[in-house]
Amino acid sequence: MKRDRTSTRSRRTHLTLGGIAALAAVTGLAACSSGSTSSTTPATPAASAASGTSTASAASAAPSPSSSVTVEAGANCSSSSAVKITFWAWVPGLGRAVTAFNQSHPGICVTQEDVGAGDPEYVAITNALKAGSGAPDVAEVEYDELPSFIVTKSVDNLVPYGANNYKSDFVPWAWQEVSQGSSVYAIPGDAGPMAFYYNSALLAKYHIAPPTTWAEFATAAATLHKDDPSAYMTNFSAVDLQWVMSLMAQDGAWPFSYSGGSNVTINWTGPKQMAFAQYWQNLLSAHEVNATTDVSATSFADMDKGIDASWLSSAWGPSYFLPDAKSSLGDWRATALPQWTSGANVAANWGGSSYPVFAQSQHPKEAAEFAEWLNATTASWNITKTAPSLLFPTYVPLLNDPSYKDLNNPLSGTSNPNVAFTGAASSISSDEWPPFMTEALNEASTVFAGVMNGKSTLQSAFTNFQNVLVNYAKQQGFTVST
Amino acid sequence: MRQPHMRASWAGRRDRRGVAFVAPFLLGFLLFMVVPLGYAVYTSLYTYKIIGGTSFSGAANYTQTLESGQFWSGVIRVVVFGAIQIPVMLAIAFFFACVFDLGVAKYGTFFRTVFFIPFAVPAVVGAVMWSFLLEPQFGPFTRLVNGLGFSGTNFFSPSLLLPSIIVIVIWEWTGYNMMILYTALKSVPRDIVEAAIIDGAPLWRIILRVKLPMVRPAIVMLVFLNTIGALQLFTEPQILEYFQQGSVSVNYTPSYYIWNTAIAANQTNLAAAMAVILAVVVVVISALSLIVRSGRRAGARRPVPAASPRVEARRPVPVQRRELV
Repeated sequence: MKRDRTSTRSRRTHLTLGGIAALAAVTGLAACSSGSTSSTTPATPAASAASGTSTASAASAAPSPSSSVTVEAGANCSSSSAVKITFWAWVPGLGRAVTAFNQSHPGICVTQEDVGAGDPEYVAITNALKAGSGAPDVAEVEYDELPSFIVTKSVDNLVPYGANNYKSDFVPWAWQEVSQGSSVYAIPGDAGPMAFYYNSALLAKYHIAPPTTWAEFATAAATLHKDDPSAYMTNFSAVDLQWVMSLMAQDGAWPFSYSGGSNVTINWTGPKQMAFAQYWQNLLSAHEVNATTDVSATSFADMDKGIDASWLSSAWGPSYFLPDAKSSLGDWRATALPQWTSGANVAANWGGSSYPVFAQSQHPKEAAEFAEWLNATTASWNITKTAPSLLFPTYVPLLNDPSYKDLNNPLSGTSNPNVAFTGAASSISSDEWPPFMTEALNEASTVFAGVMNGKSTLQSAFTNFQNVLVNYAKQQGFTVST
Repeated sequence: MRQPHMRASWAGRRDRRGVAFVAPFLLGFLLFMVVPLGYAVYTSLYTYKIIGGTSFSGAANYTQTLESGQFWSGVIRVVVFGAIQIPVMLAIAFFFACVFDLGVAKYGTFFRTVFFIPFAVPAVVGAVMWSFLLEPQFGPFTRLVNGLGFSGTNFFSPSLLLPSIIVIVIWEWTGYNMMILYTALKSVPRDIVEAAIIDGAPLWRIILRVKLPMVRPAIVMLVFLNTIGALQLFTEPQILEYFQQGSVSVNYTPSYYIWNTAIAANQTNLAAAMAVILAVVVVVISALSLIVRSGRRAGARRPVPAASPRVEARRPVPVQRRELV
């Protein structure tokens, strides 16, 4: 889902705030646990009354950042003979879809638990896999993280469970991200097609038209910063690895090549990659882009105050920005990303999740049935596209739905930003993620920190990162090409 | 030093009773210290690879750690951290301990408690609170410092991060250290102080020349305890990283590096080797502290007040030394 790790990492200020509240609650009311929060035991009868909206609101109020497990849904299965499926996911409000599934599938009882967004969940799964038991049957796993579970044979091939019947329901690149060879290891869920999301009032003030090429973008950035030294065309967040890599993908400078097994290509220092780094470093060195962390209170404040005139945003971006926006409400427009080649139409994806079935599952057939229903039915999407989940689909019927394209929110007035985002969804090429993204993300925050404070250039950070990753991959037994 | 004849006459009975007394502790010690430690050592001798699985690798993880610039730069950082934080904190703690010991402060008990409160606050909560205070955009301290003319100050920047952590840790631990020093100061025999007063020694000299030497064992103990604490620095950098992504490098402190290696890099075996090496460093320092302290006791000529304040406060120093040692 939208909560790709970049944003979970940078959103941790908010999460920590929640953590403090939770901590206060723990210290103050140690013995009092609310109905929807129980320990690791799934499906307590006490929580059965809490279905649908009430679980959803609980989830949206406190996306659990800690190791505590929140049972989101699934306590309302009446039949004791139903096959029990454990499902881990952190999307707020997803419990509504789980409840709907349980109601329409009396033979299966899915219990959704929230063990944390991104990293905390992967750590819990990895530990369970090491221990040999305790992994969920189905879990939300971001696209970039899926190959790490495929390479260790921890997830099932879903083709025997009819996954290919749903292939045509999804945008091809998303299906590609969950496939290796003829095997399909997960059902794609949501995605984050990227667009140029800009403050139209601010650009108009500086007489800047939305750039259609990156050359125009650089010129516009220079013009804007010259007119107002306190303002920037956009922010560049070098430490947000997934975001940087999305922009690299759009440039055809994707730094990895991996199609399963033990061979991996790592290339952060090729001519394409270096040209990409050079482009952004020039803007950074001239202070024509703002070196701030993305999806953060800072970047949202800068956008709202007119310091950042645009955001290279994903489809889920506006829903994150909305709560922080005040003075710029109604001014935001979405259009296609600037292009490296004039007249081209290349988009990129940033974030999104897939839903694999884990090899530990005792009921892979039922687990697969749930994963398929959750992501490949209009019934499910009609729930998950709405608040608080607000998932952006890879599911073609919804992408093509005119009413979905016409959706508006207070940030954009009546400008239908989803036209740009749904348009981008069909001009994305699949990314080949290496099977060690957790480590890459972990190292990235250190390697790229120097770019943020001007102590190092993006080019030298790329070179460092290349060395770090090549060393790691070799240590891990991979045959590395560069 | 125990008397030889005592040891002989009590040996038989004492041994059996001793075992009974020690058994509950020993069981816990075995289960929760020795076994996990043994398991860590065992784990550290293997290597897991994504491609190839787990295999015996002997000392490879140790060699890798010993040769790792990242690991040792973290060790050096915590040593620098300790070299600044410990003296500053002990100076502050000693100053306030003296103030309370002299009884010149009004509402002494109340303020002692206030000073002690940060220690009662869990380190995580303290670090979160400080992170908000120092936050680069909205933090009140950042705004204050900017308002004073140091614009662009960022407490999370590479140059100010370590000083920020030092401030946080000093805030957390000064009260605790002060309480221990205060207790030690209370144990300084009154007659000695009185004698100094009668001799006409000024207050500062009484504090520095009479009291300070007499609480030296307490200070030595605190130095070692704090050194071990510094080597294990983890919570504060970990929390700060949540607030400003990229401000704390993966190898910032040895403990933080071990955690990152085990969790993010999924190299549990390498992390186990690092943990064993860090444990050895800590054990060496602890052993050193015991040697220094017992050496001092054995060879001491001058009266040195020891750990038990109540006994000490009431008895002439020479007698008490013989009893305790």
